[in-house]
Amino acid sequence: MSAETVALAKGVTRREFLNYVWGAAMAVFMAEMGGVIFLYALPRFKAGEFGGTFTLPASSLPTPGSAPLANQEGRFWMANTDQGVYAIYKVCTHLGCLYGWSSLTQRFECPCHGSKFQLNGTYIEGPAPRSLDHFVIQVQDASGKVIAQTDANGGPVQVTDPNATLAIDTGKRIEGKRHS
Amino acid sequence: MSILDEIREQGAKKFIFGVIDDTVVRITAGLSINDVRGVLRGDPAAKPNPRVKPHTEGFILHIRPTFYHQAVTALYPTFRLGFLSAMLFLIEIITGAILMVFYSPTPSSAYESMLKILSGVPLGQFMRDVHRLSAEGMVIVVCLHMLRTFLTGSYKAPRQFTWLTGVVLLLVTLGLSFTGYLLPWDQLAFWAVTIGTSMAEKAPVGGQEANLLLRGAASIGPNGLLRFYLLHVIFLPLIGILVLAVHYYKVIRHGHSLPPGMEAPGEDNARKVPPDKRVPFLPDILTTELLWAGLTIAVLVVGVTFFYHAPLEHHADPNVTPLHTTAPWYFLWIQGMLKLGDPTIMGVVLPTVIFLFLALIPYIDFNRSRLYKDRKIALALASIVVAVLVVLTFMGTPNYGVKAPPPDEVGFHFIPPEQPGPIRSLPFEQLVAGEYDTAKTTNIGNAPRLSQVLTELQADIARHPELAGGHAVLVIEDWQGDGKAVNLKKVTLRILWDKMPVINGVAQPYENTVYIHRDSNYSE
Repeated sequence: MSAETVALAKGVTRREFLNYVWGAAMAVFMAEMGGVIFLYALPRFKAGEFGGTFTLPASSLPTPGSAPLANQEGRFWMANTDQGVYAIYKVCTHLGCLYGWSSLTQRFECPCHGSKFQLNGTYIEGPAPRSLDHFVIQVQDASGKVIAQTDANGGPVQVTDPNATLAIDTGKRIEGKRHS
Repeated sequence: MSILDEIREQGAKKFIFGVIDDTVVRITAGLSINDVRGVLRGDPAAKPNPRVKPHTEGFILHIRPTFYHQAVTALYPTFRLGFLSAMLFLIEIITGAILMVFYSPTPSSAYESMLKILSGVPLGQFMRDVHRLSAEGMVIVVCLHMLRTFLTGSYKAPRQFTWLTGVVLLLVTLGLSFTGYLLPWDQLAFWAVTIGTSMAEKAPVGGQEANLLLRGAASIGPNGLLRFYLLHVIFLPLIGILVLAVHYYKVIRHGHSLPPGMEAPGEDNARKVPPDKRVPFLPDILTTELLWAGLTIAVLVVGVTFFYHAPLEHHADPNVTPLHTTAPWYFLWIQGMLKLGDPTIMGVVLPTVIFLFLALIPYIDFNRSRLYKDRKIALALASIVVAVLVVLTFMGTPNYGVKAPPPDEVGFHFIPPEQPGPIRSLPFEQLVAGEYDTAKTTNIGNAPRLSQVLTELQADIARHPELAGGHAVLVIEDWQGDGKAVNLKKVTLRILWDKMPVINGVAQPYENTVYIHRDSNYSE
């Protein structure tokens, strides 16, 4: 054995030990600083920015089966299908472009990579991995009582009362189902 | 002796010469006036050689070698691509700093500051165009440099770490290009970066956080622009300069690798340069570098003056995604991959694997030979990779794999949102008021250009099988005048075909309207 190995084999000196402990403490401190910087840089925001609730009267809904109505501020489409009403998030589930409604083919079509969806948001074709996302709609009657609400799967909501108001909560987004 | 006594002894002339000579020695870090003259005349160096003193005593030249091996001074094998990359980086820093004087990184003022730079600042457009052209040039040159280094096997032992830092620099270059892309805050910038950051979101681990950190919010807005600006102006350049320093140090430490043909397999004689093969830095290498730098600047200036102008589209509109949104050309290969499948795999996993593999090439390549004949597999693989990249880039272009409804495509061709297009380019006098149906009249006597456009319209419609029975109606109306002449015309393009959509019993043709003013001069 070399003299070096012999010296090391004798055991850790106080100085060596304290150096290791000090190094470990510095490493923990650096990690903490990294975490602090990450938390500093992470933005605080209301989910979706527009985050709040938008209220619309039932009379503003399009007729069932016709073209959907765009809501700029809320970034959603009001789609009235034969099964009921949906509030569909305007952002394509592929890579974040805003898809549009094609009156020619009567479906949603995204200009970026060609993803296509039905009026109720169901995926038809294209590179998007899932159907369009929906916002939770609460249907309230004249007194403010909730008479219908979007279910957990993002299904359609029936609007029977012509005097009802719809409250679309853009803070509550239900992701569209992945297709195979 | 005091100064005055010294002067009296030597004489004024000699004293002044001594002061100047002393100053020159200080400025050049070791060369007297006669030494400098000797360099400029091409005289052989004195012994001991004073020309190494600027390298040993001075900071600027301390990392530059005092001589090169003759075999690496010609165009082959390096093509000076490494030098060119660093040179373009320097040009970017300088033009970038100049642009920073007028650019403002908030959404409410960014576009305005771009317009000011382009039209209200002397040589503003010049600076911006040079900045953009050098950026695109730098991406190309960096990739060529990487390709060259691979082909000559210069990444093999002992230069593996140099290659690794090179891959990091490639990522920094692409990052700088991408972050800079957003800054003009026009439609092109906004949507290209929205898609790019959406890809970051798809990363399986930390994707959401990465997207949020980059954008500073759920969608790109003031926070995102500021973060991209900081990345572009401080963080990435800083990392770039630091890693470049390491990269270049390793290059000099190991020496520029000799042409493969000169070395036996496994040999590396870059640092063993016989005296007769040494080309000194002062003056020879410095002269060729200055020449190369001058040529680069000349190409950039001529390019920007006569051929190239960086685009500026309409102001960014977060509510309107334009048709045919596209990534910057150096990312078209990713866009092509994205059209093939799941964005997480194609947009995040695969590129990560590709870059990791790229970085690790020197560590997994066990063939010690740099000779071309011994590396047929590696060279074949490189050709395949380049070919695949070209195909993917083509697949990434907007016209591949993305179909808009056919009337929109025709409308996009004739009334493009960001270009003049055929209809806006018509001379004002040839916009004769009337209703023109491309199925009937296509020959208008006093307006040959208009007739041409109508013929082209019909031909374009005929190209789309979905528009069977299709024809266009171009309606030109005199819209506004000042009593003496018409100054504003309204042009409506309507496309009708057999299978038009019918809403509430009424057929809906495609319709698009533009207003053209006498002074619009789109045709210029």
